[in-house]
Amino acid sequence: MARALSFREASRLVARREFTQRIRDRSFFISTAVTVGIIGLVVLLPRFADLGDDSFDVALVGDSTGELRTAVEQQAETADIEITFADDADDAEAAEQAVSDGDIDAYVDADAVYVDQSLDSSLRAVLENAYSQVEGARALADAGIDPGAVSEALSSATLRTVTLDPDAEEREARGVIAFFGSIVLFGQLIGYSMWVAMGVVEEKSSRVVEVILAAIPARALLTGKIVGIGLLGLFQLVLIGGLGLGLAAALGAVELTGPMITPVLLSLGWFVLGYAAYSCLSAAAAARVSRQEELQNVTTPVNTVMMVSYFAAFFAFMSPDSPIASVASIVPPFSALVMPIRMARGDAAGLEVGLALVFMLALISVLVVLAARVYEGAVLRMGAKVSFRDALASRRSA
Amino acid sequence: MLQLDGISRRYGDVVALDNLSFAVRPGQMYGFVGTNGAGKTTAMRIVLGVLEPDAGEVRWNGRALDPEIRREFGYMPEERGLYPKMRVHEHLVYLAQLHGVARLTAEKAATQLLESLALSERAADRVESLSLGNQQRVQLSAALVHDPAVLVLDEPFSGLDPMGVDAMAAVLRSRVDAGAAVVFSSHQLDLVERLCDAVGIIRAGRMVADGTVDELRGDAAGRYRLQVRAEPGWLDTLAARVPGIVVAEHGPAGDDEVALVDLPPGTDDQALLDAARALGAVRQFTPVRPTLAELFRSVVTDQGAPAQEEAA
Repeated sequence: MARALSFREASRLVARREFTQRIRDRSFFISTAVTVGIIGLVVLLPRFADLGDDSFDVALVGDSTGELRTAVEQQAETADIEITFADDADDAEAAEQAVSDGDIDAYVDADAVYVDQSLDSSLRAVLENAYSQVEGARALADAGIDPGAVSEALSSATLRTVTLDPDAEEREARGVIAFFGSIVLFGQLIGYSMWVAMGVVEEKSSRVVEVILAAIPARALLTGKIVGIGLLGLFQLVLIGGLGLGLAAALGAVELTGPMITPVLLSLGWFVLGYAAYSCLSAAAAARVSRQEELQNVTTPVNTVMMVSYFAAFFAFMSPDSPIASVASIVPPFSALVMPIRMARGDAAGLEVGLALVFMLALISVLVVLAARVYEGAVLRMGAKVSFRDALASRRSA
Repeated sequence: MLQLDGISRRYGDVVALDNLSFAVRPGQMYGFVGTNGAGKTTAMRIVLGVLEPDAGEVRWNGRALDPEIRREFGYMPEERGLYPKMRVHEHLVYLAQLHGVARLTAEKAATQLLESLALSERAADRVESLSLGNQQRVQLSAALVHDPAVLVLDEPFSGLDPMGVDAMAAVLRSRVDAGAAVVFSSHQLDLVERLCDAVGIIRAGRMVADGTVDELRGDAAGRYRLQVRAEPGWLDTLAARVPGIVVAEHGPAGDDEVALVDLPPGTDDQALLDAARALGAVRQFTPVRPTLAELFRSVVTDQGAPAQEEAA
């Protein structure tokens, strides 16, 4: 026959309700689709952008012999860019007009190249090389030296590049994946902590909390809610990570190898830790108010901390060697977003990772206790916002 | 038996409950009345363990309440509350499971309950899509779905139409007949008087009257309405002839005069009638039974009333 539930059974029931109710929610489907769509765009965009960047329209003024043109064509072929010559702009005035109008990218006249605003670096290299080749050959010929022999001598004296760190490229790629991971992670942390907060207020504003608390302890309700929503977040993250990596692999942006999957797993692990910290904060904040309208008010500090973490993660991605990045990757709760990037790139020392984990777990254990007390003290107090002091001072419900 | 023993509770400087005691037997319907803010909701929340008392103890069959015992309690809070987006049947099963009922049993119980409340067709609908009346019925089901031995209902009749009141009353009566102890609060005193076996009146956190309605009538049970056609001044003569009577009110009624007369305990009402007949033509002689509403008013507004009667 029936008997009272243990804490764990009660939490599990609550968690199951949170998970199954929300996974059927349309907003879950939409947010998954949108995130995967964004990843798809991020993977696809560079390919579209590439197409436009490699072709230029150029006019050569006063190149009566066509020597320069030949040289530019040669250099362009070497540099793998496409150059179209605007033959109708054969005097300086017409060429200048064409550049100003945006019809062509640049024109060369005598010893100068004219552009509207800035010269693309690959186009600059091509034009400069071609110019010095032509002018150099002319100067050599004037001095009585055979340009052919010189260029032959020069072409054998090239510099090879030897990479001392053969993993650099792969590390870079892992860092990029981890960075996207952190963006998704940021979205997940914001989104799912907000779901916890909204869930707490929903129970308060609909007053169902009193019915629930007549059956199970407040802590079991809080635990079940955080765990249930967190599992859903993790599930969505796995879904997004899987689809995102699959998409990137299918389009040839990354190769699906162990080292490339590691950053995704790192992000998942740090999601669990970050979510534990942020959801406790959100639940405690949300328990203080009775209406959804007031929620923004009390969760702003939590969201601000998350925004700062996000910028720290961005900073750590852009300048991984900065001491600020190392500090942010160790101090919780910022570490949840920053550390995965540094770990993926192999920048973080073992000690740093260990410290980050210890600090994070310590913060979580403090937050869990505090959040549970605030929640218990505030969740049945309807009406005006409950201050933290009142919530902590109020006697606990059974 | 459900016993509240010396329960006190403060909110900051405000005393919500002050040494409150009363008891409800299985098979008894107990009406809990008091003005707004008297402490009814606080007392009920303490019985359900949603709040902790500062002092005192709640017992069921002599045992202090713990989660195992509270599992047998059903609660309908004053502020109705269900998850708006959950489906009705699913919601009831969930609440039964939280009370420790196994899933299959819970599903069966929810199905039966919805059937008995004529809500079977709405079982798969979301709570928010139901009319307020139907939501109220679901709320009642939520308190009943785990077949509780003790039912605590905060204002179960508020907001119900007359048909709804009758349906609610019938459900509560059937639970009482099945042996449950039922406590409910209400401001509809005629309803409390009609339904309840016992009544407790609470004022400012203290129990000021507790017992059956007849017991509460106590002294007031000796009041009679007397309508007599007689010479003016007959009331004075009557008071002189029947020692100890008190004329609470009097006034003309056509050619007659009507008086409300209180008889001291132990006095024979026939002696009063005889004395009145000797003075004139008695048109009416009726014992007056004050309604619960009248009792309530006199108890609650009487600031000098003795503090408290002991609970049974």
